Amino acid sequence: MMNLLLTFGEHPGWFFVVATLLPLLSFVLILLASALWCAGRAYRNTPGGAALFNLCGGEERGRTAAFVATGAIALAFVFSLVGCIRFSAQQHGFETAIKQHGKALHQIAAKIKETSGEAKEQLEAKARTEEEKLEDQEKRWADARKTNWQGHFDWLRISPKGIVDADSGTVLQLGFKIDSLSAIMFVMVTFIATLIHLFSIGYMSDELQPEVEDHQVHTAHGHLHRRGRFGRFFMYLSLFCFSMLNLVLADNLFQVFLSWELVGVCSYLLIGFYNERQSASNAANKAFITNRIGDAGFILGMLILWTHVGTFNMEELFQRVRAPLNDTHGAVEGVAGRIVRGNLDANNTTKAGQRFTIANDGSDVLLFPHRPSAHYHAIVPRVSDNPKPDQHGSMPYWMLVAAGLGIFLGCVGKSAQFPLQVWLPDAMEGPTPVSALIHAATMVAAGVYLVGRCYPLLTYDALLVIAYTGGITLFVAATIAVVMTDIKKVLAYSTVSQLGYMMLSLGVGGWVAGLFHLVTHAFFKALLFLGSGSVIHGCHHEQEMTKMGGLFPKMKITALTMLAGVLAICGIPLFTGWYSKDAILAQAFGFIYVHPQHLLLFLLPLATAGITAFYMSRMWLMTFTGKPRDEHVFDRAHESPWPMTVPLIVLGVCSVGIAWGWPVWDAEASFLEANVHHAQYPAILADFGHIDYSISEHHGEYWIAAKDEAQNERVFAYRNHHLAGNIAFVLVAIGIVFAGAIYWKRVLDPAEAKEQFPRLHAFLMDKWRFDRLYSVIFVRPCLTVGHWFAAFDLRAIDGVIHAVARSAMWVSKWDGLFDHYIIDGAVNLVGNTIYGMGARLRSVQTGFLRSYVLFLVLAAAGIFLALAYFVRMAMAG
Amino acid sequence: MDTLNDILFYVLMATTCICALAVVLTQNIVRAAAWLLFALAGVSGLFFLLGAEFVGSTQLLVYVGGTLVLVVFGVMLTAQGPFVNMRIGAAEWAIALAVGLVLYGVLSTSLIISNPPQSDVNRHVDATMPDSSVLGSSLLGQGQASPTGFLTGMPPAMRRERKPMAYLLPFEIVSVHLLVVLIGAAYLARAKRRRAV
Amino acid sequence: MTFAVGLNHFLLLGAFLFVCGAVCMATKRNAIGILMGVELVLNAATINFVAYAHYNPIFQVEGQVFALFVIVLAAAEAAIALAIVLNFYNNHTTVDVDTAEELKG
Repeated sequence: MMNLLLTFGEHPGWFFVVATLLPLLSFVLILLASALWCAGRAYRNTPGGAALFNLCGGEERGRTAAFVATGAIALAFVFSLVGCIRFSAQQHGFETAIKQHGKALHQIAAKIKETSGEAKEQLEAKARTEEEKLEDQEKRWADARKTNWQGHFDWLRISPKGIVDADSGTVLQLGFKIDSLSAIMFVMVTFIATLIHLFSIGYMSDELQPEVEDHQVHTAHGHLHRRGRFGRFFMYLSLFCFSMLNLVLADNLFQVFLSWELVGVCSYLLIGFYNERQSASNAANKAFITNRIGDAGFILGMLILWTHVGTFNMEELFQRVRAPLNDTHGAVEGVAGRIVRGNLDANNTTKAGQRFTIANDGSDVLLFPHRPSAHYHAIVPRVSDNPKPDQHGSMPYWMLVAAGLGIFLGCVGKSAQFPLQVWLPDAMEGPTPVSALIHAATMVAAGVYLVGRCYPLLTYDALLVIAYTGGITLFVAATIAVVMTDIKKVLAYSTVSQLGYMMLSLGVGGWVAGLFHLVTHAFFKALLFLGSGSVIHGCHHEQEMTKMGGLFPKMKITALTMLAGVLAICGIPLFTGWYSKDAILAQAFGFIYVHPQHLLLFLLPLATAGITAFYMSRMWLMTFTGKPRDEHVFDRAHESPWPMTVPLIVLGVCSVGIAWGWPVWDAEASFLEANVHHAQYPAILADFGHIDYSISEHHGEYWIAAKDEAQNERVFAYRNHHLAGNIAFVLVAIGIVFAGAIYWKRVLDPAEAKEQFPRLHAFLMDKWRFDRLYSVIFVRPCLTVGHWFAAFDLRAIDGVIHAVARSAMWVSKWDGLFDHYIIDGAVNLVGNTIYGMGARLRSVQTGFLRSYVLFLVLAAAGIFLALAYFVRMAMAG
Repeated sequence: MDTLNDILFYVLMATTCICALAVVLTQNIVRAAAWLLFALAGVSGLFFLLGAEFVGSTQLLVYVGGTLVLVVFGVMLTAQGPFVNMRIGAAEWAIALAVGLVLYGVLSTSLIISNPPQSDVNRHVDATMPDSSVLGSSLLGQGQASPTGFLTGMPPAMRRERKPMAYLLPFEIVSVHLLVVLIGAAYLARAKRRRAV
Repeated sequence: MTFAVGLNHFLLLGAFLFVCGAVCMATKRNAIGILMGVELVLNAATINFVAYAHYNPIFQVEGQVFALFVIVLAAAEAAIALAIVLNFYNNHTTVDVDTAEELKG
């Protein structure tokens, strides 16, 4: 026990490993209990079986599974929180020191420029000592990260027999690597998952009954009756949480991919939780298949990296692809932290390899040694075909782009981005807590998180694709959300839209902003979904907003907490959404300032901010204000029980205050954002410039960036943060006022708008006709080809098989005849002959003693005669 | 003397033959038993004639005095009205007689052919038959009781001198056999007990 | 003791007795009659033994010993046969061997 505690003390990264494994443990426990229950149930007539059956819950199994799962995830939250606090504390200490030294160095460098002579030499000496201190601190921090917050072990070794070189790139590893992003993600995921578990205990209580009637499934005998699935639900939730946590934890792409697929499976199981409903099983299939498309890209990307770089470990990948940050000779200056392009000179080949000439539009990418020596004398000596860990290599540039896009395609699938967004709204068929989990903490977050994680692997071209994908997605989804009337569908599209924001932000270099938004969004989206779940639960599974209205007095807690969520997502100042969304908009603003040709990347999110405000307000106002639209629903509506409202309140508080910093009114001062900021890759600063100390008080960036200030997106973004935020706020206000006019005061009639633009409305209701498009392009051709194959199977293959079978039957018929007549005939002939002879000989056996005597006498005479004859012959002879 | 012996032989032979024939031909079982008695007595007479006094007296004692008494007991025990005279058909008679004649023909012909009247087996033998003490010592295991000499009755090439022989083991076997048979007979012929209900 | 009668005479007598015994067995329906036939056959054999003992000095002991064995075995046979007959009589209340046809094929 002491040893264990000491281990935790020395390697606090294990807190996160334990937090990851706890939901897995809960999953295994529930699974085992269920298996035992099933086994016992089959033998519940025997005493042993009955004991087992009752031990595992009996006919009414109660809430044990929920308590186990909730306990596990709550414990995981505690572990994550402790780990996160410890990490932040350690990081803060080092970063502060480094920042001080960096600042001093910066000031000295500025002074050096102004002075000359002896004073300059003194200053330079001072700068050197500062630099040494800085390097020392950096080294210590790097060591601490390596020993305390990382770990891995070899899982599968696929190298040829006998070769045990870990560097040969043929080892699959399991490992963990904690930085402030994953620490925050851990806390966020476990916290929200805990609340969702708690909420589910109330929401899924219908499933506790031994027999549940599903009103949405009609069978020949009325509604479907089935066994309650309370335990199964929590089992899946646990596995879901484990998968997501493992994804966040992973330090290599392969482990990410594993969890990635597990997340997919869990979403499949949970979306199809009511699998008897046709719509639910279709939605589950749709989600799964759509994700498969993305995952195919992910696999391709992974394979490209595996082939060219030879490792899955992310840190090693980054070290290979990106140029090192610093060296004593200044050889990397100008390209530090960047992807280095150039050309291979086939004519200039030596033993060490080919010469690599750096060029901005070169066709190859330089791969750096992932065991860098401290000093680079020259950035690139020679490029080897089959580089060792301490040698340079190269790969085609387009391959790196393809790898990045492949990984991004996986994220497109998971995060429901533009071409593959169709599954997410259908995923509303799952129970509402699942929707909350998918939308807030786990599945869709995984895509954005992975893009963030793999950022250094993404080239400028790939990032542009990401930015545009996000831009299109956020706009398309927002417009569809405007016309949706199903409360969960509105939220689903808002999720898609918000994910688009995140992707766009990542694409334009707003790494911090995008992931910051991911975290804040998780809180208010979980809140909104759980709130909608509460509304649906209170309205007896009514999801149509056109039948709601005026529910505020009936469910005040739900309404108020949801209002907090709505304001957060709209980006009202001081709510969490404001901090993150303004950061994204500012980033996009900075990007179009440097690249005016990509103006769309700012206009789309800006417009969508207004649209978002409109449809979110519309949702809240339609649900809670005005006159009830359906008396029946209104009369039966009620507030939800405490297990559902408590998570709402907690999440409501978080939605308001999770992103606060000091001062609260400063959009730049978010404590959470600063923490995410620590995890930012140097590569981002290399690609998009840095922020000078003179203007940034909150962020500790100190190293030398190559870009001049005029071309610096980040500097511009920082300087114009408030401008972008203000423009957005105006649009948001317009949207809210507009929504209030239509749905609260009802001075404008939405039906009129519908009549005015019937085609637009139909187009939006049809979700931009994506489903129809895919049906025409993919589904129907697939089905047609499938039918062809089926026909081929039925006619050609089955025909051949039938012909073979028929000929076999024919042969065996002849064989049977041969058997019957020839072989059996011969055997029977022998038997019959012997039988006939016996039958004939039978008559000899008269049973009369006297006739036997006669035969005896005759025989004696014969023998005598013969004997006499032979004796005589012998005598004569 | 020879003549007397010859006459005695023919008388005894005739008696034996006639009595045996009578046994065959009579239908009455009681009479058959009587005829058999005489036939056996005649045979014993022939034994005496041949000088085998011990065998002859044994014949008289065991056969006539023992076995035949058994047979007569059997006749008396079973000779109830219908069983005294049991006739068989003429056809059966014909078949039996024909078979018997054939057999006799075969036997006698082969006998005469193999032992022609001139052969040395038919010449007079002067040696006296051994008395019962010799038989007794043979039965008690004395090999020297039997005379030595070349075996007769086989082709000359295979002729060889006999070895001393004794008959203790057959004697013992026969005696044990007799015991077994008597026990078996007693068992088989015992009165059936009805199981008390 | 010598006389003109030769071995053949005795053998012929034995043969005659043998045939008589055989025919007796074949013609008697009474089981005891068959037993008598057997006795006749055995006597025929005994005569042969004794005759050979007389005419072939080599066999003078053997002939008599086997004759004695035959007589003794005949007695045994008679005893057992009589027991069988009595048993048969007890079971079938008859001594007619024609009724004993269980061996019929």
